[in-house]
Amino acid sequence: MKCAGFLLLSFCAVTPAFSATYILTVAGLGGEPDYDQRFTMLANDTDKAFRAGGQTDRNVETLKGADATKAKMEASLNRIASQAKAQDAFVLMMIGHGTFDGQEYKFNLPGPDISATELAALLNKIQAGRQLIVDMTSCSGGAAGSLKKDNRIIVTATKSGTEKNATVFARYWVEALRDSAADTDKNETISALEAFQYAERKTAGFYSEQKRLATEHPQIDDQQRAASFALLRFGSAAAAINDPAKKELISKRDEIESKIDALKYNKSLMAPDDYRKQLTQLMLELSKTQAEIDK
Amino acid sequence: MIPRVRLICGLLLCAGFASAQTLQEAETLWRNHQDKDAGHIFEQLLKADPKNATYRVRYADLLYQDFNVSDAQKLYEEALMLDPKNAHALLGEAHILADNYNPKAEELANKALEYDPKLYEAHELMARAALEDDDSKKAESEADAALAIQSDAVEAIAVKASIDLLADKQSPWVAKIGNRGKGYQTIAHFFMINRRYEDSIAYLRKAIAATPDLWSAHSELGMNLMRLGREGEARQELQLAYNQPFRDAITANALTLMDSYSKFTTFETPTTALRLNKKEADVLRPYFQDVLNNAIATYQKKYKYTLKTPVQVEVYPDHTDFEVRTQGLPGLGALGVTFDNYIAMDSPSGRTPGEFHWASTLWHEMSHVYVIAMTNDRVPRWFTEGLAVHEETATYPDWGDRLSPEIIAAIRDKKLLPIADIDRGFVHPTYQAQVIVSYFQAGKICDYIVQRWGDQKILDMIHEFAKDRPTVDVIKEQLGIDPAQFDKDFLAMIDKLYGKTVAGFADWTKGVKEINQLMKDGKTDDVIAKGREIEGLYPDYVEAGNVYNAVAEACLKKGDKPCAIEELGRYSKIGGRDPDTMKKYAKLLAESGKPKEAAAALERMNYIFPVDAGLHEQLGGLLLETGDAKGAVREYQALIAMHPIDSAGAHYDLAKAFKAAGQKDQAREEAVTALEAAPNYKPAQKLLLEVSE
Repeated sequence: MKCAGFLLLSFCAVTPAFSATYILTVAGLGGEPDYDQRFTMLANDTDKAFRAGGQTDRNVETLKGADATKAKMEASLNRIASQAKAQDAFVLMMIGHGTFDGQEYKFNLPGPDISATELAALLNKIQAGRQLIVDMTSCSGGAAGSLKKDNRIIVTATKSGTEKNATVFARYWVEALRDSAADTDKNETISALEAFQYAERKTAGFYSEQKRLATEHPQIDDQQRAASFALLRFGSAAAAINDPAKKELISKRDEIESKIDALKYNKSLMAPDDYRKQLTQLMLELSKTQAEIDK
Repeated sequence: MIPRVRLICGLLLCAGFASAQTLQEAETLWRNHQDKDAGHIFEQLLKADPKNATYRVRYADLLYQDFNVSDAQKLYEEALMLDPKNAHALLGEAHILADNYNPKAEELANKALEYDPKLYEAHELMARAALEDDDSKKAESEADAALAIQSDAVEAIAVKASIDLLADKQSPWVAKIGNRGKGYQTIAHFFMINRRYEDSIAYLRKAIAATPDLWSAHSELGMNLMRLGREGEARQELQLAYNQPFRDAITANALTLMDSYSKFTTFETPTTALRLNKKEADVLRPYFQDVLNNAIATYQKKYKYTLKTPVQVEVYPDHTDFEVRTQGLPGLGALGVTFDNYIAMDSPSGRTPGEFHWASTLWHEMSHVYVIAMTNDRVPRWFTEGLAVHEETATYPDWGDRLSPEIIAAIRDKKLLPIADIDRGFVHPTYQAQVIVSYFQAGKICDYIVQRWGDQKILDMIHEFAKDRPTVDVIKEQLGIDPAQFDKDFLAMIDKLYGKTVAGFADWTKGVKEINQLMKDGKTDDVIAKGREIEGLYPDYVEAGNVYNAVAEACLKKGDKPCAIEELGRYSKIGGRDPDTMKKYAKLLAESGKPKEAAAALERMNYIFPVDAGLHEQLGGLLLETGDAKGAVREYQALIAMHPIDSAGAHYDLAKAFKAAGQKDQAREEAVTALEAAPNYKPAQKLLLEVSE
């Protein structure tokens, strides 16, 4: 997660203290053993990634195989709706196949499918103030309109409901949760935007390398919110914040970071050499300060 | 390409008076380049008299000239339905077939002559086809037959002139062409197909001087100039033709391609010019330049020859652009083509990862550059291709192509050609895979000559071929062996090398099927046993579904990494190229404490598919670990050129490599760049402090 300049500062560090994150992953019907196996594996990997590190502020639930029915999905969403509060965050990840008949999107599940309209009704009951829906199925673009809501970021594997081929986006979304390379600003947090950008590029690379026409074009509807939506944290980023002895140093670091942001914001207005000189100086100051904090 | 305008005056006499006036009008409009109006009149004529075969033939001739080959062919066919003995319709169809070097053209031309023995154009067509087939005796005889009927038949005269000129003789026939541009254009065509582009350009200029509105000659001149990199004049000629309008696909495609040149950038050294697409130039340049320099150093020493002009290499990420650059039209199966000292080739990014060894292709084409320069292009196709194939593996044995199933079939079915006839396998293949088989055979012939007579003999042969000597004479004189005996000895070597594979191919195929079933059944021990049993039958097979991979997979399923490493080591050594397999092999080696071997395995992939960020990242790390800081810098620079997702990480890695190489200033710059993207990136902060002390 990073701030791209002054304009985005308001979206930084918005995660309130003592908030919880509810994470539901659903791996739908594969239709054939190969897909069933693949979807289950991706769901397992997602589950593992979110449970890693023993963070107690996460409520992780995964539905897969025979358990991934419409009834169980409804039950899980109703349970989250009854527990999640306004300061909480909610993430729904859907892996599998979807269909779109020109009017309505459906997520394929064992037994009856769930439509985007039905899903939206369930999601709207959830009070969590920050919501992220990641629909990684074929035709998922067809669900975006129904699921759209002010406080909700929608990620879909396809641009529209007419991109009907099985998708590879899910593979790379899950990979983003495990690959530190996805943390492009190296702040030990993978934001929803970082995960999306990672998966989007890898998906495009897959089709390009295979010399195949891309049959999926991943979409995200709110990049600014996604940049500040902390999907996964790792490392020890938060530890120093709680040490009063380092308060002054942390203030100093924040001040240098602000100067760096200001400098970067004005980059296009500056002579390149001047910009580089000032940037180097500020980075040295920041590095020294951080080294003091880490002592 | 044959001249498109053929006026058959006799046809006018066939039509009745009322329609003759209209037909005459159409012909006049056509002669005045008002083709569209002429076409309308032909349409009206056909509407008024649908049973008239002559109208159909002439209309077809017009359409054929205007590149509408499919409609022309349909009209010729309809004419033949109305009049099965219509010699002109048969000739028209023959021309269409001849354009595609289809041997059936001769059959139709002969049939046309049966119905109209005075149709000298049919003899001209056969003369041209024969000379394209390098059969100058037959070409001469057909040209004579045409001249016996029509003493000033320009195509026949041009064929006779071409026969002399190709043999570097003065020709009395050139003067007989007079001011008929098409004759010079035909000579240019024969120079062009014999890769003598400068001569071709000279005759196209003569054609244009004689007949300034011969737009097809302007277009061909533009194409030949483009082949030799003279883009300014090429564009002028192509544009001139296109505006007339002479808008065949070749002219239009070439102009479109030239428009796209703004997307390319050229890097020049005193001996080379490397033109790369801007989007991949930073990634490819170090590797291409390195191979190019290495090839020049190697060939200069080996062939004892220094190129007089820089060699230009153009690398196309879009295969269609490469095809247009080389022949004007899509559909070319080649990976690289040389025009004198200009090489055009596919970029690795234009091919599926692993299917294309770009360095081998460049090495191959560079051999052509030298041989063409040393012989002034007087070299048989088999020898220049064979030598280039030989060179692919002469320096780096894992480069070049492996023995393919179609070559095994050709050896088994005794389809390899005698050395006296091997050129025909390139020029006029008689079965689908013959060109590939001929490349293989020619390469093996050069291998055999080097093995038996030494490298110097190859050099002697190059010098002999430069005197335009025929293959048979060169073999006899330089190798001191009768061609028939050479064939016998060569086939004995082939049998020694590949006899086991040819004899065991059916068993190998059966074995591969068994392995697939055993894999499905999860019988890993049996997969390993069967794989080891059959892989020696056809060791060269490293493509999809190869035995090495199956065995390595089975080894890994058993948790036996050394077994997998051993198997993948064989795959790599024999020339396996699949990037994922090679990355897996390198990972296993690295995990087994063999980082140098892992790095070596990955370095091979830079010559196959360097447009792979993961490859450069993995290799950079291994090189840094093994103390090759310079190599690590190269790899991380390539990684950055690919705009990786983890930009900060890549710049940090490059900073580390610079630091290891003792380049502290560059290390500091890269650390700052990493931090610009990720200010809180602690390892980069630490490194910045270290290199700023």
